[in-house]
Amino acid sequence: MKRRPLPLPTVPEAFPAAFRTLLHDLLARGGRVRGRRVDPQRARRAALSQSGTFVGHRPYVRGDDPRRIDWAACARTGDLFVKLFEEEQRRTVTLVLDLSASLLVGTPPRALAARRLAAVVGGLALRHLDGVAVVAPGAGASSLVNFAGAGDVEALLHHLDGLPVADAAPAAALQLVLQRGMSSQLHWISDFAAPERFELPLAALRRRGASITGWLPSLPEDQEVPRLGYVRLRDPETGAEFGAVVDAALTAAMRRELELLRRRQDRLFAQSGCLLVRWPAPAEHEFQRGPWQEILTWCSR
Amino acid sequence: MVLALTLREPAHLGWLLLLPLLFWLALPPRPRRQRWTAHLAQWQAAHAALRRRPPRLSGLRLLLLAAAAVAAVVAGAGPAWRSAAGPDRLVVLLDASASMAARTPSGDRAFDLVTARLHAAFAALPPHVDVTLLRCGGPRLRRHGASARHLHDVGSPAGALDVDLAAIAAGVAAPATVVWALTDGQGQAALPAVGALTVVAAPGANAAVLDVRTVDRWPLPQLTVAASVVAFAAAPLEVELHARGAVGAVPPQRATLPPGEVTQLTLELERDPAGGWLDLALVAPADVLPLDDVWRAALPPLPAPRIAVLADGEAGPFAAVAAQALAAEVRGTVVTAVAGAEVGLLLVDGGVAPVVPGRVRALCFGSRLDPSVEVEPWLEPRVADWDRQSALTAGLDLSELRVAAALRGILPAGEPFLWAEAAGGRVPLAVVVDGDAAASVHFAFRLQDSNLPLLAAFPQLLRRAFVRCHGRAAQLQVATPPAAPGEQDLRQPAAGPDRPLPPFRAADVDLAAWCLVGGLLALAARAFVR
Repeated sequence: MKRRPLPLPTVPEAFPAAFRTLLHDLLARGGRVRGRRVDPQRARRAALSQSGTFVGHRPYVRGDDPRRIDWAACARTGDLFVKLFEEEQRRTVTLVLDLSASLLVGTPPRALAARRLAAVVGGLALRHLDGVAVVAPGAGASSLVNFAGAGDVEALLHHLDGLPVADAAPAAALQLVLQRGMSSQLHWISDFAAPERFELPLAALRRRGASITGWLPSLPEDQEVPRLGYVRLRDPETGAEFGAVVDAALTAAMRRELELLRRRQDRLFAQSGCLLVRWPAPAEHEFQRGPWQEILTWCSR
Repeated sequence: MVLALTLREPAHLGWLLLLPLLFWLALPPRPRRQRWTAHLAQWQAAHAALRRRPPRLSGLRLLLLAAAAVAAVVAGAGPAWRSAAGPDRLVVLLDASASMAARTPSGDRAFDLVTARLHAAFAALPPHVDVTLLRCGGPRLRRHGASARHLHDVGSPAGALDVDLAAIAAGVAAPATVVWALTDGQGQAALPAVGALTVVAAPGANAAVLDVRTVDRWPLPQLTVAASVVAFAAAPLEVELHARGAVGAVPPQRATLPPGEVTQLTLELERDPAGGWLDLALVAPADVLPLDDVWRAALPPLPAPRIAVLADGEAGPFAAVAAQALAAEVRGTVVTAVAGAEVGLLLVDGGVAPVVPGRVRALCFGSRLDPSVEVEPWLEPRVADWDRQSALTAGLDLSELRVAAALRGILPAGEPFLWAEAAGGRVPLAVVVDGDAAASVHFAFRLQDSNLPLLAAFPQLLRRAFVRCHGRAAQLQVATPPAAPGEQDLRQPAAGPDRPLPPFRAADVDLAAWCLVGGLLALAARAFVR
């Protein structure tokens, strides 16, 4: 039987004005991204003593600590520059964002929640630490982009908004992280639909001392089964199709399989010594602080 | 080589209309939805955990099922490969005219020889060849299929070949049709130029009875037979004409017939009173066609009639005298008319007689058949004419007939043979009413009111009326068909070389079994395709 192809869902506008207002409110209300315990101390010492190995300048952006401005360079050029020290790499947060097509599924699409979640976590990192590195395997030239300072929040949002849909293995993310240099704190946002593919990358990162937090925006589809009837299912990543007649027995079996998937995801992170946060994704137009407050809570732990 | 798919039962293809039903049955249950999922592996695992097969809606599975159904339907329609070009139809033109009964030098009839050839050819003919047999000559017949192959009821030689075999063969011949003409060449301007040809000629001398004219004096026993005979031979032929059967012994009539000239031989016969068959046989030496040498007729028995007379009180003696004269001529007797008694002829003069026209042998002169019918006297009608072709009045002179008075409206509906002049034209004065087995003759005037009894033609008219009232029972029935023109002269038939039958196309290869195998393979493949 010839069927009309089901169009691939698209990601709606991730950062409307209402979300930006909410984001600034969240960042102002003081959520903190806590890295390792030594990182704030080192950051404070570096800021005071200007210690560390000087590696260069970067233009001043609004929100940078005025104590880090290189006034000599300002006198020479007339522009404001801040000094960069090697020590800062240890005070950044790495965001690994899954761009695979499987995140396009859901109501709202899981990719929308993932981008907004990355914006909140990245904004907190820019607000309270030295910077954030966004790793998006499969995005080509945008696979690895660094942001520093609170002034880069808008740039971060623009970057996140422009990321494409790309399928890349978790191992590609590992390579990008290692290429950039290890951060103490790593936030991995994905649906972890195939947990076994994340096992080796997580173990490798853990061996290098990274503190990893897995973020899984959870959707109603993760627990609910479509209503009875014939349904033709398609995988957005592979395009594979599968037809099924949904009845009570299949509904029960599918719920068992979803529960089994949850357990595998939990076991994966537990065995790797990492934290997995299932964050209930709010609706597309829900911008109340409540659901987002949970992110601040998890980041400040 | 020409390959063509033939469907012998194309009506079976109508079952293909069930394919939409098959498609509908193959649809999965409603509602039918499509949706994206990030948990396809979990769906498949749940399905496998329940040991379920995928739903039936699969394009390939449906295609295979439809292919199996189409194969079954096509197999039912009788598909076949026509493997090679060539004729697959045979039309036989069988000359069964009278000349085919002639004896060949071998002693067999030409017709028997060609039928033997046909039996032999049909036995070797491939069974798929469609055979049509047309009998030409005599009664035309058409036989088809198995009936043609068995020469079912094709009859025996008779009649004339009144068709042009060459024209028929040229018209029927086609690339897929072979025409086979079997003839003796008699009565044909030219033999067929196309198709197969078999000529079985039987040339020789032949004497034939062309026509027999009879002068029947029924109810008297005298019978004159005049036979027109002819001989087609190289030299004058000595012949004898024999008469046998229900007639008295009479010596044969001998004659020497010049070649090709018609000679009339006459026999005066006296038949048996009981009637029976009369056979005329022309005996000639070296005659190869005895079929046309005989003539046969059925002679009706002679009557011994009882003639009754009904005459009113005013009628003169004419009716009684006429009855006596008629009885003397036909060897009958005059009896008294009694109600319920059966008589051979009722002679009625005047008055009222309850005679049903056409059902009672009656000769009525001025008699009213129905007393309720109003009649009008008609004084001195002038006789206008009589029917010169009618068996009643042919050759009679009625010009002196005078009628003093007649009755208008007295005649029943029938065939008039005597008319009187009237203001509006001619009015019948006498009619004959024919029935199934009898007839009645009605005059509009009484005998005493005319001079008819005084005419010289009156006795002859009475006898003819007697014969006519007996209808077919008085007629001689000829059983021999008329001589077929062109079938007697066997000296120079059209001749030509025989042409054999061409090879016919090989039998079609039946593809029904292959279609069924294909359908079963499609079903088997469907069972394994997920």
